[in-house]
Order: sequence, then structure tokens, then C-alpha cells
Amino acid sequence: MIELKNVTKQYPGQPHPAVDSLTLTVPEGEICVLVGPSGCGKSTTLRMINRMIEPSAGSITINGQSVMNNDPDHLRMGIGYVIQQIGLLPHRTIAENIAIVPRLYKWPKEKIVRRVDELLVMMGLDPEKTRSKYPSQLSGGQMQRVGVARAMAVDPPIMLMDEPFGAVDPIARTHLQDEFLRLQKEIRKTIVFVTHDINEAIKMGDKIAIFGEGKLVQFGTPEEVLTNPANEFVENFIGYDRIVKKLFLYQVQEAYRPAVCRLRPEEIGNALSKMLAEKAEVAFVLNEADKPCGYLTREELEQEETARDADGLQKLAARRSKAFVQTTTPLPDALSVMLEYDAEYVGVLKNGLLEGVMSFKDIRRHVYRREGE
Amino acid sequence: MDINLVDFFQRNTRTIMEYTENHFTLVLSAVVISLLIWVPIGLLLTKSDKWAARIMALANTIFCIPSLSLFAIMVTIPALGLGRKSALLALVLYAMMPLIRNVYDGVKNVDRNVIEAAKGMGMSSGRIMREIQLPLGLPVIFAGFRITVVMTTGIAAIATYIGERNLGRFIQEGLVRSNTSMIIMGALIISVIAIALDTILGGIEKLVIPKGLRARR
Repeated sequence: MIELKNVTKQYPGQPHPAVDSLTLTVPEGEICVLVGPSGCGKSTTLRMINRMIEPSAGSITINGQSVMNNDPDHLRMGIGYVIQQIGLLPHRTIAENIAIVPRLYKWPKEKIVRRVDELLVMMGLDPEKTRSKYPSQLSGGQMQRVGVARAMAVDPPIMLMDEPFGAVDPIARTHLQDEFLRLQKEIRKTIVFVTHDINEAIKMGDKIAIFGEGKLVQFGTPEEVLTNPANEFVENFIGYDRIVKKLFLYQVQEAYRPAVCRLRPEEIGNALSKMLAEKAEVAFVLNEADKPCGYLTREELEQEETARDADGLQKLAARRSKAFVQTTTPLPDALSVMLEYDAEYVGVLKNGLLEGVMSFKDIRRHVYRREGE
Repeated sequence: MDINLVDFFQRNTRTIMEYTENHFTLVLSAVVISLLIWVPIGLLLTKSDKWAARIMALANTIFCIPSLSLFAIMVTIPALGLGRKSALLALVLYAMMPLIRNVYDGVKNVDRNVIEAAKGMGMSSGRIMREIQLPLGLPVIFAGFRITVVMTTGIAAIATYIGERNLGRFIQEGLVRSNTSMIIMGALIISVIAIALDTILGGIEKLVIPKGLRARR
């Protein structure tokens, strides 16, 4: 656990402190994202935790121990540190780069070799191919991975990450973020993560700390921040698409309805009567193997001009053969599927079988309910 | 005018060898002393921008003094007088500018992010200097060393005017005696030595570039 109490950083000759009486607690095993416009003090705060910058006032403790009690070099050896520019040593191989902190701890050689390979595999790099390369021979994304691997070399309980995925293209960034979140589920590090990108903050953070002009403006879970922005500054920083951003916090499984009308191949002729009997708005057409292959809505069936034979209905249903999502699909992706197939409904699948249905209304209702909380 | 270099060489082999040896020992001592003094000072200056500016201004000023003047000034200092001590001191002072400047630039121009990352991982500043700044600054530092060697070889010849018996003496005496062979022999040997040293050091300079900086995708 990292605790900052009334931490201030005042640079001489500056009218306002870079960080102004900041109090913040980062719980064990969580990612706390410091986010804000440039010059808001978020990086300064991060760098005060490992004493790259010395605070002017206040106390910073890690698990109850003040960082000021420790020799700075020794303190930093125990904290993983990743910066945007990565800072790999260009004259050292990848293996040597990762081995820097283990060498400072004087680990035996075999242990270092084993750990380097382990980390490379963990970061999705092939040890055989990567180990003896130089940084200039890697791509940006690979270098970022090595940077993260290097920070985790001695398995420090705390990691400080300053825009760690900032220097790569958006596709590689998304990939690195996803991988890192998956990894974090296993390693459960206490992480302070700096970014200026609110979307990255929402995605990565268990907690988000929004900074403005050296002060902590709001601190809470992404949902809390998106639901109740503390003031206009936070609202503006989040942007007009606040609710759309909020959708990213939810998955289909939170919003769908399990009750669903199923039509076996032989029942398709009686679709309307079955739906009326089940009071269903929508009915999913299954194939012989019980796999859903589309759906029909009551509205369609009730409209005379679309009244067709079983074959026609089958074809109509098949137009929506791809309007399906998984229970774990994020809501924005589900929404995207709806828009793509011009569909009011999507079928919800679990292990390939029909699990339920979700309508646009369900999404709206879910978000509205969360808004009201 | 009678130019017969081969004849001159055969008749004066001994003197040529003696002068060449004197020339080399002077250059070697001057370069070694310069390295021992200016490299550590250059490294030290990377810690203080204020002192770096001051010392580098001084080095520049000394570098601007014409060599003959500097040698002459040295001779007037009673403790030094005519001869090797004055010559050495002047040469070491000349080497100050190229050595300090290149050591300082070499170390200072190492990517700040690399140093930031190393510091953030808990490397001590001594270790960062030894393992990162020196190896990465080495190509620039070595370039300064190369300039120093070639420059010292040339300026050392002028020390003949303050009593050094080296290859410059052929030029000086040749001029006095209007002995063309002598002038050309002196000029030729000094030039060949300087060019040879520069070529050899140029080759070595390529080798001191850290492997990771040479490797490309």
C-alpha cells in the first residue's frame, strides 16, 4: 500500500507548487491511474514515490515505511519503474537490459538467465530470438515489452509506470494494455500508472485520480468518476461522450435478459403464435444442432407485407445470422454489432449456445440504472 | 638547389632516428599526461554546468594562443626554462580543449532517458558513469583523443625553438641553412607520422563504438 499525505512539491521561483498538498492512498494489488492534462503534477507525483524528485513537504509511505528512511538507490531497486521512452541501454543486449536490477541485487548468474527467459516468455517474446539482440533491432512494441519485463525482473511488489504504452501506435497500445491487464490479474502488483489519456485511465485503472494544476480533483473507481464527475473540470476532461465511455466498463452479461423464445426448425411456421404465447418480442431461429442462426421480431411477423412462408422467414432470420455477441463482450462492441446489422436486438451466446437476448433498450436501461446510483 | 632525400637520409640516419625518438617520447608523454589530467576533469565537469562553462572558456582561451607564443611564455617561467618541461606543459595545455570538450560532450550527450531509467532502477551515479555514460560516450571521447594525438604531433615540432631536439629541428635548421633536403625531410617525416597516427586511430575509433549502436535491424 502506498500512502501520500499532504505531499507538496514547490520548485524555487515558481508561483504555484507543482503538486499541492496531495493526499492519496493506493491500495495493495490495485492499479491507480493518475490522469490529467500535461503539467498537472501527475508525473511529479509518481517520481516522488521513488524519490526521483524529492518532495518539499508531506510524507510518502510504502507499507508504513517512509520512503525518506531508505537510501534512494536502494529504494528504487525495490520498485519497478517504466517510462514512456523506455530507456533501454542501447549498448547492452535485451538479456543484459533485463538483468540490470537482478545484477544490482547480485543474483547468481544461472538464476538471472532463468529469470530473463521466464520474463521474455511472460511478455510474449521468444527468448531464443530476443535474448541476444540489441534494443535497436526491436520494434517499438517489443521494446515496450522489454521495458516492462525489466521493471518486473526482481518481482517488485510495486511498479511505477509513466505513460508506459505512450510511445507505440494505437493498435500495439491496445494489445499491450490488454496483455498487461491479463498479466496483472496473476501478478497483482500495486501499480501507480500515469497517463494523459482518459480512455486509457478508464481501461487500466481500478482507481482513477484526476489531477488539475497540482491538486487531486477527484479520486474513485472509473465508474464513480464517470457517473458523478466532481466538477466541471472533470466533466470537460472526460468529454461529451461520458456515457459512451462508461459503456466500456460493462459487459453484455450485466445487461442481457436470459428469457428468450427459441424456434426449432419445424416451429418456424408457427413463429407468431409461439411468440404471442411466450409474450416475446423476438424469437431466435435454431438449426438442427441447436445453434442459433438468426432471429425474427414480432413486429416483422405482424406486418402483413412481410408475412411469408417458412422458407421466407428462414431467409429473413438469416439476415441477422451475425447479430450475436458473447456474454463477456463489452457493451460498446455489442452496440457496434447492433448498428452494423441495423438490429434492435442481439443474441447472447455462451459457449456457442444461445443464452439470452439483449436489446438496445436493455443497454439504455442498464446505463440509466447505473447513472441513478 | 640540390634535393637528394635518399642521400640525406643515408648520411643522417642516426640523427633522424634520434630526432624521431625524441619527437615520439615528447608526444607520448604529453598525450599520457593530458589523458590523466583532462579526462577525469572532463568527467567531473559533467556534474556541474557552472564549472563546465568556466573551465571550457579557459581551455578555449589557451587554445587560441599561438603555439610559438605559448612555448615562449613557458620558457620565461623560471621553474621551467628551456627544454622538455616547458614543451610538455604547453602541449598538455593545448590538449585541454579537445580532450575536456569531447569527454564532456560525449558523456553529456548520452540519451537522458537511458540515464533516467537506470537511475530509476536504483543504479548509483558511479555505476551509471562506468556502465552507461562512459561506454556510450566513448566514440566522442575517442575522437577527442585522436585530434589531440595528431595536433600534439604537429605542435611538438615547434618546441624545437625552445631547445627540443626533435623532427622540427630539421625544418628550423634547414631554413637557417637553406638546406632544402633537410626541410623536406623534416616536414615529410612529421606529416607521415601525423597522417599514419590519424589513420590508425581512425580505424580504432570505429571499433570503440559499442556493438549495440552499430547493430541495425
